[in-house]
Amino acid sequence: MSAIAAFVRSPALRRLGQVVTAATLVYLAAVPLLPQTNDATLFTYTLMLTTIGVAINWNLTGGFTGYVDFGHAVWFGIGAYVTAIFMSTEGNSLQIGWPPVLCILLGAVVSGVLAALIGSATMRLKGPYFSIAMLGTFVAMREIVRVAKPVTGGGVGLNLPLYLNRPLFYYVQLVLVAALLVFTWWLRRTRFGSALVAIREDEVGAEMRGINATRTKVAIFSFAGMSTGLFGGLWAFQITSVDPDTAFVELRTVEAVMGAMLGGIGTVIGPVIGATVLFWLNEVVWANFLDFHLIVQGVLLIVIVLYIPRGLVGLFDARGPSVITLLDKWLGTEPGDTYGDDRVPVRAGLGSAESGEWFEDEVESDPVLTGGGTEPGSDSERATV
Amino acid sequence: MSQLLQALINGIALGGMYTVLVLGFSIIWGVLGVINFAHGEFVMVGAYLAWLANEYAGIDPFIAAPAIFVVMTVVGFVLQRVLVNRVIDRPHLVSLLVMFGVSIILANGMKLIFTADFRRNDTALDGSWQLLDGVTVPVTKFFVLLCALAILVGLSAFLQRTRLGKSIRAAAQNREAAQIVGIDVKWVYAVTFAICIGITGVAGALISPILAVQPFQGPPLTLKAFAVTAMSGLGSIKGALGGAMLLGVVEAGLAVYVAGIGTNLAVVASFVVLVVALITRPQGLFGGLRPVDATAT
Repeated sequence: MSAIAAFVRSPALRRLGQVVTAATLVYLAAVPLLPQTNDATLFTYTLMLTTIGVAINWNLTGGFTGYVDFGHAVWFGIGAYVTAIFMSTEGNSLQIGWPPVLCILLGAVVSGVLAALIGSATMRLKGPYFSIAMLGTFVAMREIVRVAKPVTGGGVGLNLPLYLNRPLFYYVQLVLVAALLVFTWWLRRTRFGSALVAIREDEVGAEMRGINATRTKVAIFSFAGMSTGLFGGLWAFQITSVDPDTAFVELRTVEAVMGAMLGGIGTVIGPVIGATVLFWLNEVVWANFLDFHLIVQGVLLIVIVLYIPRGLVGLFDARGPSVITLLDKWLGTEPGDTYGDDRVPVRAGLGSAESGEWFEDEVESDPVLTGGGTEPGSDSERATV
Repeated sequence: MSQLLQALINGIALGGMYTVLVLGFSIIWGVLGVINFAHGEFVMVGAYLAWLANEYAGIDPFIAAPAIFVVMTVVGFVLQRVLVNRVIDRPHLVSLLVMFGVSIILANGMKLIFTADFRRNDTALDGSWQLLDGVTVPVTKFFVLLCALAILVGLSAFLQRTRLGKSIRAAAQNREAAQIVGIDVKWVYAVTFAICIGITGVAGALISPILAVQPFQGPPLTLKAFAVTAMSGLGSIKGALGGAMLLGVVEAGLAVYVAGIGTNLAVVASFVVLVVALITRPQGLFGGLRPVDATAT
C-alpha cells in the first residue's frame, strides 16, 4: 500500500470524513431555523434535495445494473400528474380532491406499477436500445398526457389547492433523501445488490449463476420509478400546478444522469455528491449566465465521459487511475496496491464504478456470486484484495 | 374508400420525409457503430440554415438544400475528427452519452441564437393537388418524397459503384479485413460521418416547410429515426425506405382514423413500433449491413 493510499484510508482521515458528514447533516437539519433563510432559499434547498433523490434513483438502474435510462423523468412526471389529478378541485379536472398525503402516495404507487409494466418490456432490451426505448417512453407519455384532456387538463394542465409550508416539505424531503441513501447503501451490500452489479458486469454469467436477471432488473427499475414518482408528487404539491411541459422535462433526466456521472456512476455516495455539486454549479452559472448553463452542462457531460469516467468519487479511489495514483507517480512513492490502467475493468467504458464501499473498505463477497473463478479485477475479487 | 386512399397517400408522403430523415442516422450507426443521439439536433440545425436562407436571401429551401449539404458535410467532418473519432472504439454507452452532450449543446446553442420561437419556412412548392373527389396530394411532401428518392438512388450508386463507397461498405462489414486490404478506415469513417451529417442537414432543410422549426424539435425526430432504423436494419438503404413508409402509413392511418387526437399519437406510435420491432425482429424487417443486436449481450 502506497503511503498516499494508506493516508487516504487512515483512521484519522476516516474520522475527519465522519465529522464532515455529521456537520453536513446538522447544517441541513438547521437550515430552516437559520435567520437568513426565507421561503425562497428554503425552496431552493428543497429542489436540491429533489435533484439528489432523482439522481440516486437513476443510479439504481443506470449505475448498478448498467441500464442507462434516458427517460427517467417520466416517473417524476407521472407521480406529479397522478397527485395533481386526485388532488385538484378546479373546474377542468375530475374534482376528486382527496387528501394530499394519500394523493402523493398514490402517485408513487402508480409510477411504480407503470414502471413495472413498461420495464418488463423495455428491460429486455440491451444497452443503447434500452436507453432509446426509455426516451421513447418519456416522449410518448408526455403526448398521452397532453391528449387525455378530460383527466389531465390537456396542454393547460391542472392547478392544485394552495398549501404552503416550506419547512415541512423541506424536512420531509430531507428525511426521504437520507432514507433513500441509507437504503441504497444497505442494498449495495445485500445479495440483491450484488446481483444488480453482477448483471452490469456480465448478464449472461449472472443468469448462469442462477440470478433471474429480468426479475431483478424489473424489481429495481420499479422501485426507482416509484421513488422518483414520490418526489414528483411532492414537487407537484409544492409548485401547485402541473402542465405537460413542466412535469415532463428532459432536463430532469439530464440532471440525474449528469449528477450520477459527475459524482461517480454506480457508487452509493457519488450521485449525492455529483447532484449537489451540479445543482449549485447550475445555480451559480444560471444566475450569472442565464442562457449558457445548459450548454455548460453539455460540455461538462462530454468532458466527464471522456476524461473522468469514474467521477469525483473515482478520483479518490486508490484502486485505479485516480488522484492518488497520480500523486504516487508524482512523488515517486511505491504504488503498492494500486492497479495499472489495464487491470481496471472498463465496463461500458465508464471505468470501474463499483466503489460502493465508500463507507467501509470491505464488501463481503458473496460465495454464490463469486464462486471460484472470478475474472481478474471483477467486483468481488477487488473487494477482497 | 377515399378516406383509405387519402391515408395511404399521406402515409407515403410522410414516409418520404422519414426516409430522408433516417438515412444519415442509419448509415452512421451501421458503418461507425456510433449511435448519433444528436441526430434530431442536426436535422434542426439544417432546418435553421434553410430558414435563414429563406428569411434573409429569399432562397427556397429546395434550392438551398445542396448548399446546406456542403455546409453540414464540413460540420460533420470537423465534428468527427474532433470528437467522434475518440469514441468509435469505445462501448456504445460512451458514444451515446457524448452525443447526448452534443445534442444538449446544439439545442441550447440554437435557442441562444434564434430564441425558442417557432419559425415557419415557406416554399414555392406549396398547397395540394386534387387527385380524386376528396383525395388530395400534399405538394410539399410530394416533392420531399421525390428528393428522398433521388438521394436514395444517388447514395446507393455511390455505395455500390464508387471505390470510396465500396470501402465504406467494407469497413462496415469487417473493419480489420478492410484495414488489411489497405483501406484507410479512419478516413473512411470521417467521410461517412461527414456525408451522413450532410444528408441529415438536407433532411432538415426539406422538412422545414412542413414542421415548424424550433430548437427543441430534435428528440422526437431522433426517436423516429431510431424506430425506422430498428425496423429496417442498420445501414440498409432499401430498409430505410421500407421502414419509413411503414411508419408513415401507420402514423397517417392514426391521424385519419383516430379523430382529433390521432396526430398527437404519432410519436406514441413510433415508440410502440420501436419496442415491438426491437423485441420481435432484432435483425430488422429488411436486413441491413449488420443486425440490430438489441437482445444479444
